[in-house]
Amino acid sequence: MRTWAPPATVLAMAGAGFVALLWLWLTGGGEVDVPWAPTLDLRLHLRLDGLAAMYALMATGVAVPVFVFAWRYLPHHLAQQGRSVREQPRFYALLGMFMVSMVGLALAQDLILLFLFWDLTAVASYLLIAYDRQDGGARRAALMALLVTAITAVALLIGTLLLYDRYATFSLPELFRVAESSTTVTVAGALIALAALAKSAQVPFHFWLGRAMVAPTPVSAYLHSAAMVAAGVLLIGRVYPLLELSPVLLDALVVAGFASMLVGGVLALSRDDLKQVLAYSTFSQYGYVVFLYGLGGESGVGAAAFYVVTHAVAKCALFLTAGAVTRATGAQRLSELGGLARAMPVVAAGSLACAATVASLPLTVGFFADELLFKAALERGWVFAAMALLIAVLTLAYMARFWTGLFLGAPRTEAGPVPGAMVAPVGVLGAICLVAGLVPAPFAAIAQDAATPSLLAAVPVEARYYLDLRAENLLALATFALGALVHAGHRAVPAAAEAVARLGERLGPERAYTAGLAALNGLSDRVHDLEVRDFRGRVTAIFLPSGVLFALAFVLTPTVGAYAVGSFSLGDLPLVLMLGFAACVAVAATRPRGHLTMVLTLGTVGFALAVVYALLGAPNVALVAVLVETIVALLFIGVLSLIPREVLRSQMRATRERRGTRFRDPAVGLVAGATVFVLVWGGLSRTGGEGDAARRLTELAPEAHADNVVTAILADLRALDTLGEITVVAVALLGVTKLLRRGRLW
Amino acid sequence: MSLALPLGLVWAGAAVTALLDGRRRCVAWLAVGVLGAGFVALCVLQAHVLVDGPRTIVAGDWPAGVGIALRADALGVVFAVLSMGVLLAGLAYEVVDDLESRHTPALVLFMGAGLTGVFLTADIFNFYVFFELTMVASYAASTYGGERHQIGAGFIFAIVNLLGTFLFLIGLAAIYTVTGTLDMDGVGFALAQSEPTAVALIGVSVLVAFSIKLGLFPFHFWLPPVYVGATPGVAAMLSGAVANVGSYGLLRFGGDLLPDLFAAGAGVLAVLGSASIVYGAIQAISRRSASEVLAYSAIGQVGYVLIALAVGGPVGYAAAILYAIVNALNKALLFLTARVRGWLVGACFAIGALSVAGVPPSAGFFGKVELFRAGIDARSAVLVALIFLGGALSFVYMFQIYQRDFWRDRHDTSGGRALQVPGVLLALVVLGLGLWPEPLLAVSREAAATLTGGQR
Repeated sequence: MRTWAPPATVLAMAGAGFVALLWLWLTGGGEVDVPWAPTLDLRLHLRLDGLAAMYALMATGVAVPVFVFAWRYLPHHLAQQGRSVREQPRFYALLGMFMVSMVGLALAQDLILLFLFWDLTAVASYLLIAYDRQDGGARRAALMALLVTAITAVALLIGTLLLYDRYATFSLPELFRVAESSTTVTVAGALIALAALAKSAQVPFHFWLGRAMVAPTPVSAYLHSAAMVAAGVLLIGRVYPLLELSPVLLDALVVAGFASMLVGGVLALSRDDLKQVLAYSTFSQYGYVVFLYGLGGESGVGAAAFYVVTHAVAKCALFLTAGAVTRATGAQRLSELGGLARAMPVVAAGSLACAATVASLPLTVGFFADELLFKAALERGWVFAAMALLIAVLTLAYMARFWTGLFLGAPRTEAGPVPGAMVAPVGVLGAICLVAGLVPAPFAAIAQDAATPSLLAAVPVEARYYLDLRAENLLALATFALGALVHAGHRAVPAAAEAVARLGERLGPERAYTAGLAALNGLSDRVHDLEVRDFRGRVTAIFLPSGVLFALAFVLTPTVGAYAVGSFSLGDLPLVLMLGFAACVAVAATRPRGHLTMVLTLGTVGFALAVVYALLGAPNVALVAVLVETIVALLFIGVLSLIPREVLRSQMRATRERRGTRFRDPAVGLVAGATVFVLVWGGLSRTGGEGDAARRLTELAPEAHADNVVTAILADLRALDTLGEITVVAVALLGVTKLLRRGRLW
Repeated sequence: MSLALPLGLVWAGAAVTALLDGRRRCVAWLAVGVLGAGFVALCVLQAHVLVDGPRTIVAGDWPAGVGIALRADALGVVFAVLSMGVLLAGLAYEVVDDLESRHTPALVLFMGAGLTGVFLTADIFNFYVFFELTMVASYAASTYGGERHQIGAGFIFAIVNLLGTFLFLIGLAAIYTVTGTLDMDGVGFALAQSEPTAVALIGVSVLVAFSIKLGLFPFHFWLPPVYVGATPGVAAMLSGAVANVGSYGLLRFGGDLLPDLFAAGAGVLAVLGSASIVYGAIQAISRRSASEVLAYSAIGQVGYVLIALAVGGPVGYAAAILYAIVNALNKALLFLTARVRGWLVGACFAIGALSVAGVPPSAGFFGKVELFRAGIDARSAVLVALIFLGGALSFVYMFQIYQRDFWRDRHDTSGGRALQVPGVLLALVVLGLGLWPEPLLAVSREAAATLTGGQR
């Protein structure tokens, strides 16, 4: 296959998808709704509403620059690791799969369908993080991402099924119509929100995102800035009408969002690795969105949507910046980089616009995002506004640290040439941020549309410059002033952040994850060592639990009258004596005295029982028993004669001397014996319907051309059983020849 | 079409191939062909049963209650089709991999005949006969390969399972003594009127017998060495086809013949199932080879079937049936792909791993959905939490071994392309049922309705 074919295909898919979605959105959306699995009321219900349009456009729109970047990035990446270009198609196939599932996720209106796309994105992300699978770090990071996102995803499934149990539908529009405030809805909403928070890497699930940065840069730029982590907040926006029913859930979102913003901001300040800084920034920024959803109301939800779309554009460009810088210099740490503005002017300019967007400076589209944040926070009260201010300051500080660290100051490394295809996306995305800073209407329009499905009503989202001293503007000014102050004192602040980050590493959730995984593996090893492995153990292990179960059945059911003692007459004396004899011999057989003795004792039990049959008036059964006992005893002795005497003797000694089995074996024997005794006694205590069936069979014997009922049963009435048993014997013979003669029959 | 056709076809085919040298290609492929024909016949039968309802014939045209009745109902045929399909895949794998033993094709066909009989009989003693046929063929087949450890494992397999079969036989004798009939309908009817002690003891003997067969904790000690020692094809057959007897037996004897007892003993079933889920999963986590992980995973996964049985009712039984089907497919797929290498096989193994973990789009996802529904239906937060925990642990063990086996060492395709085909086909089935679950859901619901008297 030509090397350009795979990237060209996914690029064309992304471009065409973007154009098609945009056209559809502008012409009023579209809907597909067909039955999928009627038995479970599943529907393939996709609808392009505002929320879907925003995320689907993001997933395809951001994909275009990323795929262009990847086109030049990947061959170099593979060449560096000495890998074949034949590994390219896998990369693009997974990216394409991810893009399609992300679009599907945005459009899905059926909760099970949504879950399907939800997990598909997790699987694609897992495989993409581990694209460099020869690298142990990548494998561990991939496993971590999968475990965190896919296991928590099950919470979404449980929430969905709780709602189904209550309202008998998976359809979201239907649910919004019928759901009302109740414990079920709160629990289900909490579970769904949990899955969403884990996907968006919110506290305490944030650690996977930092590790996921081992993935190739296009993956980080696409999945872990714009698309996959956005899926979490998409879900929150999608089920928002359900979450809104429980104020406690919204409050929880405020707390989770604030914690994430704070932790993310502090960690972003402390990191040295470029992609790590951006990863924690991402996690902090999605904290904003969760916070905004928690604040709720018209301004909160509208601002959340606006935030998502500006962040996607800007953060993607910043990841690509990191990729381009690393490609040019070979370095990926802030401490190794600096003064690149002259060598990489386009990248510097583009990323400046994007960093300013994230930091919410005026003239970029990000400014409006913060204005909307402050407005929503102010509506809820000053405490929330103070929280928002704190975070905005942190964001400004770490963005300033990132950009100035890269592009200002003295050059520390040589910068080589970077292909135009890797530079252009950064420039284009930067330009978009600037243009939208002047003309924010398209962004506002899409955010407004996106907020509509969450609120189930159209709400205006206004992005305008107000040149007055309203509270939002004052807060913004305060942000710039404090941000500049923090940045100026940058020596002290990162050190403090570093200390916090260390503490987090020591006590944080990542530690818990690693320790938990190690503990599980250790526990598994220990349990495995405990498992019985010897032959006797494996057999006795069956008896004990069975004995307990039988005892339970015996104890828990009424036994009065169930165990009858039959009448006894003097004529039964020989029978009873014979049975007593058989029992004595059976007990004697449990005392090991050499293999031969054991075989003979067992044989004696059999012969004694044969006599019992004879006394009971069943001479034919007695004859069969004698025959079987004789054959078995001979066979046993024959086998014993094949085994060297020393082996037999040492085995015997070992059995006698084994301490653990001295009490175990008799106990097991007693349990087994008592069980069978109770079972047989219980059975013999009731001889109800048997007579009827027996009479019927006897009557039918002549019709089967047989002179007695046994023949009739064996040869005709139940001939299928006889044939089956003959086959069983034949198969057993096959097995024996297989072992003895390597399968030769003659 | 008569319901005796698939049974007779495979049985006769087995008898013929037993006399021929199975190492010869034409004989081996003949056996595959016979299994394939049996599979097709069962599929046709299933379509008939689902459309027209159950069919019954009595061997020798004797009146019902005297002769042995064979009956194909929705529950039986679905297990028959499933098991025959897995046998087909397993045998095809072994044939492509070059058979070293002349009896393997015949033994697999005998297994097929036994399984078909088990699932299509309506007579409890006849059930036992076919059960024994299946098991004896399995004992012999499990030693395929002839290595010392394989023979040792086969020996333990035979002894432990004979013990279970013996216990089952005692239970059957007790049923006959109590009810005076061997016909399943009559037995169910008579047992409903019998004294509780007798019914409870019978129930326990049946439960233990099938638990041994399923490899449920703590009756599982025979299972790991057998599954680990067996060749991939045989392991797939044992875990994906023969183990179905356990699930089916519990459903038939528990859900159909002893419904009141199983409802009363739901606590015991739930405890056994839970213990199995946790134990199997914990054991599987740090095992070093895929077959070991799969063996312990099998122990854990059957626990879910038991939990669903404990829930009972239309939702619980449907979940149990669906999960049994899904689990059989998963295990067969994973065993058949565990020892082959190449990117395609890696992808198939990953699909199987996702299915075990219950991730869409795989059949396993709907297994999880039905289980959670059963847990919610029972209003039991503990069960839901347990299913969640088991699922979480299965993520850990499946993906640890997937990464270890398919990502770490980079040896290329081994065993040739043809060896990949059975695994790939099964992966497509698992994936297809994940994308279009309607057949799976409808069939399991229909089968569950046979246990609940038509209630859905």
